[in-house]
Amino acid sequence: MQHFALTIIGRDRPGIVSQVTEILFRLGCNIADSSCSILGGQFSMILIVSSPQINSKEDFGEAFAPLEENNLSVFIRDLKPGGEKRQELAGNLCMISVYGSDKPGIVYRVAKELGDRQINITDLNTKLIGKDKSPVYVMMIEAMLPDGVEIEEVEGWMSSLKQELQVDISVRTLLSVEL
Amino acid sequence: MAVREVLLYPDPRLKQACAAIDVFDKETKQLLQDLVDTMVAAGHSVGVAAPQIGELRRAVVVDVSGSKLGQKQKNHGLLQMVNPEILEEEGQQIVREGCMSVPDYTGNVTRAERIVVQFLDHQGKLQVVRTEGFEAIAIQHELDHLDGYLFLDRVSSLKTDLFRRKQK
Repeated sequence: MQHFALTIIGRDRPGIVSQVTEILFRLGCNIADSSCSILGGQFSMILIVSSPQINSKEDFGEAFAPLEENNLSVFIRDLKPGGEKRQELAGNLCMISVYGSDKPGIVYRVAKELGDRQINITDLNTKLIGKDKSPVYVMMIEAMLPDGVEIEEVEGWMSSLKQELQVDISVRTLLSVEL
Repeated sequence: MAVREVLLYPDPRLKQACAAIDVFDKETKQLLQDLVDTMVAAGHSVGVAAPQIGELRRAVVVDVSGSKLGQKQKNHGLLQMVNPEILEEEGQQIVREGCMSVPDYTGNVTRAERIVVQFLDHQGKLQVVRTEGFEAIAIQHELDHLDGYLFLDRVSSLKTDLFRRKQK
């Protein structure tokens, strides 16, 4: 079955999820994985959807027009076959906390350390907190460390960044247990 | 000796409360043995509860000594527990749990840090054990199965636990 990536964003208010999912329900769409959250004043939805009756994004026609009329931006994209399946990631999850006075480049510099080493980020959240005069940036990264890469090694990569960016960074194993 | 099939949700037996074992007999011993065999056969597993193999009786086995995490902490090795009951609990720890009966999903669960648990052991003798850390988590997880609770009923937050709480 053809799968689609659907993203929707707009000013947060009650009722967005129900409006979006009613449309999907009436189209006969299945929602597979999804993640929805408030970012700033915006509610954002990211969904993987599919429907036996819909083979390309053109088939959605004007179905999402009512959302646009309600000031929600809708974007839909065809997934290539297999794109709905999560690839198996081997290794151990770790959490990286990065926080400090806000400045440009925090996300990029930390992510680059990981990306350059082919380390997969599985989740990432950032938030600007604190007072307007002294904003603090907080970033939480969840990443999959391949077997053989130890926490101490990751700490090593981060130590020079700490100095340079003047931020605090801590790394720890994410306790994830199958019982 | 029998390795039993581990039931997967939505098998309704996973959502039922189990009955206490009133008579400790040969069948009880057999059930414990099956639980141990099933746990060992499932390589990665550190515990199995009777309802996971379709037996709606209050028995679980736990053994964290073979797991990477358990090895680092004090533990009691193989625990075979009949009619287990948590007498005391203290503190809080958050751990991301998964479950053999709910594959491919994990969630952050808040559990007590330290517990005192009472049970009949594999010889039918009353034991009271004080434990903490990973072993305490495993016991709490398995005991939940006896009341028809899955870790999905206990998820305390979405993925970024520490983060979301900061939001006002």
